[in-house]
Amino acid sequence: MSKKIILLTLQTFSTTGGIQKMTRTMAHSLDIISKQQQWDFKLWSLYDSRYDLMSEYLAKENFVGFGRSKMRLALDTISKGRKADILILSHINLALIGIIVKILNPKCKIWLVAHGIEVWRPLSFLKTSFLKKFCNQIICVSNFTKHQMIKWHNVGSSKCVVLNNVIDPFIIHPEEFEKPEYLLNRYSLTAENQVIFTLTRLASSEQYKGYELVIKAISHLKEKFSGLKYILAGQYDATEETRIKDLISSYNVKNEVILTGFLSERELADYFLLADLFVLPSKKEGFGIVFIEALSCGLPVICGNADGSVDAIRNGELGTAINVNDQDELEKTISSYLRSPLTVKTRQKLQKQCLQYFNENDYQQNLLRLIKDEPAA
Amino acid sequence: MCHALEHGGPDDEGIYSDENSGLVFGHRRLSIIDLSKNGHQPMSDVQNKVWITFNGEIYNYLDLKEKLVSLGARFNSNTDTEVIIQAYLHWGMSSFSKLRGIFAFGLYDTEKKRTYLVRDSSGVKPLYYHIEDTELSFASEVRALKKAGIATEADKSWQVRFLAYGHIPEPYTTQKDVFSLPKGEFLCWDHKKDTFEIHSYHVANSPAKIYDVLEARELIRTGLTRAVERQLVADAPIGVFLSGGTDSSIITLLANQHQLAQLKTISIFFNEKAYDERMYQNLVLEEIKGEKYAHLVRQEDFEEFLPQIIGDMDMPTTDGINTWFISRFAHQDGLKAVLSGVGADELFGGYPSFSRIKFLKKLRQFPPVSFSAARLFSSDKYRKISFLTYNHPIADYLLLRGHYSPTDIADILNMDLGEVEDILFNNKSISRIKNYNEEDAAWLELNLYMQNQLLRDTDVMGMSHGLEVRVPFLDEDFKAIAERISIDIRFDENQPKKLLIDSFNNLLPRAVWDRSKMGFTFPLQQWMREHHEINDESSYHGKRARKIVKDFKKNTMHWSKVFALYQIQRYV
Repeated sequence: MSKKIILLTLQTFSTTGGIQKMTRTMAHSLDIISKQQQWDFKLWSLYDSRYDLMSEYLAKENFVGFGRSKMRLALDTISKGRKADILILSHINLALIGIIVKILNPKCKIWLVAHGIEVWRPLSFLKTSFLKKFCNQIICVSNFTKHQMIKWHNVGSSKCVVLNNVIDPFIIHPEEFEKPEYLLNRYSLTAENQVIFTLTRLASSEQYKGYELVIKAISHLKEKFSGLKYILAGQYDATEETRIKDLISSYNVKNEVILTGFLSERELADYFLLADLFVLPSKKEGFGIVFIEALSCGLPVICGNADGSVDAIRNGELGTAINVNDQDELEKTISSYLRSPLTVKTRQKLQKQCLQYFNENDYQQNLLRLIKDEPAA
Repeated sequence: MCHALEHGGPDDEGIYSDENSGLVFGHRRLSIIDLSKNGHQPMSDVQNKVWITFNGEIYNYLDLKEKLVSLGARFNSNTDTEVIIQAYLHWGMSSFSKLRGIFAFGLYDTEKKRTYLVRDSSGVKPLYYHIEDTELSFASEVRALKKAGIATEADKSWQVRFLAYGHIPEPYTTQKDVFSLPKGEFLCWDHKKDTFEIHSYHVANSPAKIYDVLEARELIRTGLTRAVERQLVADAPIGVFLSGGTDSSIITLLANQHQLAQLKTISIFFNEKAYDERMYQNLVLEEIKGEKYAHLVRQEDFEEFLPQIIGDMDMPTTDGINTWFISRFAHQDGLKAVLSGVGADELFGGYPSFSRIKFLKKLRQFPPVSFSAARLFSSDKYRKISFLTYNHPIADYLLLRGHYSPTDIADILNMDLGEVEDILFNNKSISRIKNYNEEDAAWLELNLYMQNQLLRDTDVMGMSHGLEVRVPFLDEDFKAIAERISIDIRFDENQPKKLLIDSFNNLLPRAVWDRSKMGFTFPLQQWMREHHEINDESSYHGKRARKIVKDFKKNTMHWSKVFALYQIQRYV
């Protein structure tokens, strides 16, 4: 039977963060499934313009960028959106659209993707009513998020399905694991320098990523591990830049910490190769797509143990989760990784395991089953 | 290919080939440093480990040479070319970031079986490449790839870009799959796998901002003095372009302080009174020693040489006529290299865009759709406002600097508007504008206007006369100083380039800077309006084009827009 599926998002291509990356992969998967099943799939993006589309993810004719025009979105929702069989909202802030479509067309199934902090908190009356009365299924990116949904919003467990994020289909998986020469040159490093790596948005408004713990740890570890470097990557705002630089001076780690600013996607895999260990002791990751990206390049990871990250490391099989309030535990864990240097074999093994658990092929099968409403295998 | 580039390298020719790797380097030489046969290219080290074909100048080659000698390197020539080879042999890839200068080179490492294409960090010297399946080709001009039969197919989008920008913006060219290598980056080609990567060779550092105005002035003075001094290095005659404006006057006066031999200055004047800058030129010339060449350019000269100028452009552009003439005179006066003042306006806020960008910020607060009616305006000037309907940094740039609006382009080329929009805005490499302040304006001016228009035109027009144009304001170290200066003191709302002028107020005659901006401007509005081909509307295709020419004749349209149309007609 033919189906009409719409994935409605706030922003998919014009900025890059965990949610955007997850949405790109989901759109790509839905586009492929729909082609195979001869369904009709569209990705609607409120804040992207049509020029933002990255054409590798889906065909131009299946993408609508509303370029911030809420009026156009409202009109299209009423004229076309209501005809959908399944409407997937990529963010709780789109709840109103879900409600309108459900009222106009009660047969349409409304799904919501629940990522992380955007739903781990009390929500407005409109959003909670949406969850309870209008939404048919909630795709949770991790078990942690599922528990939070139940805890905060009292939604039925059967309404929530866990569908872990997977590796972006277009990220490069290296076959060789040498440290890229051009990056060694860029930061005046040699292959002997051990490198700890963090990649995250450095925003003054998001004080839960935990990189300050790593900066502090470096000040203690630098004596034990000579040549140790910490690459802290990601776009920062001016307030956060000042705060981080002050931290760096106060811990006296100017020579050890490298701030890179924004990293381009095309060099991302090379940064994972440059590093010996990925550390992001964050408190509020919905899933932490960056962990599986690091693992897919054979880079071991340390994450926090009190959020969605534990799904990304398969409860410890692929990495180590630590108590992010315990500075000592963080330092000990980093030390134990650094004491046994990474081999090519370890890297290969990690990469293989990661791709086995978090590949797009399985993701597509899971999505297909959900759409067809078949029980999990 | 070498033959097609003879104009830029009249002094020597050479070829190197390695059949095992399927590689050939060809070179045409313009000799400026070490004029002897020792400078023959392609050049290799004694053991033939590395081969190079190099265009440009390394200004710090003597410093690097000294360091390399202390590391045990031996040299057979006095060229800067050999310094690049030895630097690579000693430091590998990290040698690229040690070079200060204007350069584009191809370097083949016979042991690693890799070819590197490397371009200077200010993007002064061009480097175009073409990749098809397992083959890489490169050249310093697009026409060489065209004439060699490597990239003969035209890029279908170039006319749209040209009409919007007035030039063809990097990385695009007129030819399909021929791209310009981004400045400060290198392409590494692996001959074993026939694969390539492109990366920046920039060494990361984040130096402290400068907040103190006195410190800033001092650093500008010493930095620019040093840049001029090191760019005067040459074994062939070198001179300065003097327009009469602030920037070239500063360069001329600084060069005069350093030149051991006497400085040659080249300037241009016109019979048209409004464009005559001799009064300001003379204020500077009175201060300096050396030979002073002033040349008259007449309307007849423009008419006589226009076909040749267009032929020398390599790719269509609406600028560069001025540089073509002054380069021609410099060549006639026996010069092989000159210094120019390009870059100061961009670094220190010499353009109207620096104040307009704040207005743009206000306009950007309205929803884009509110500007869609602007395309209905009959006045050309206001129609450009329709760029605000596009929420894209390129649209911001084109509003400030562009020629035709998307609707006009669609009309002129008889295309669908959506198609034009796709070509212009399907570009994800630019995502910079955030604050709509002077720093953003500087970024747009430096990376788009100067890069794509001024520098490309300057280099191609200079090289068409076998003349190298050097740009001290874009010296890596000087540019880094300028960019460290906090925007509060780097830009002044009331006086363009105030900080630069204040830094040299002891050197620069007041009358040179204390007047309205002239730029290096030719009387082209008049000359083109009276040009029998350009003003002949019947020779243009399409109603829209003919209407534009009519408006131009009524003097309600700027010459550069008609000149763009004129070139499009010639190509079609």
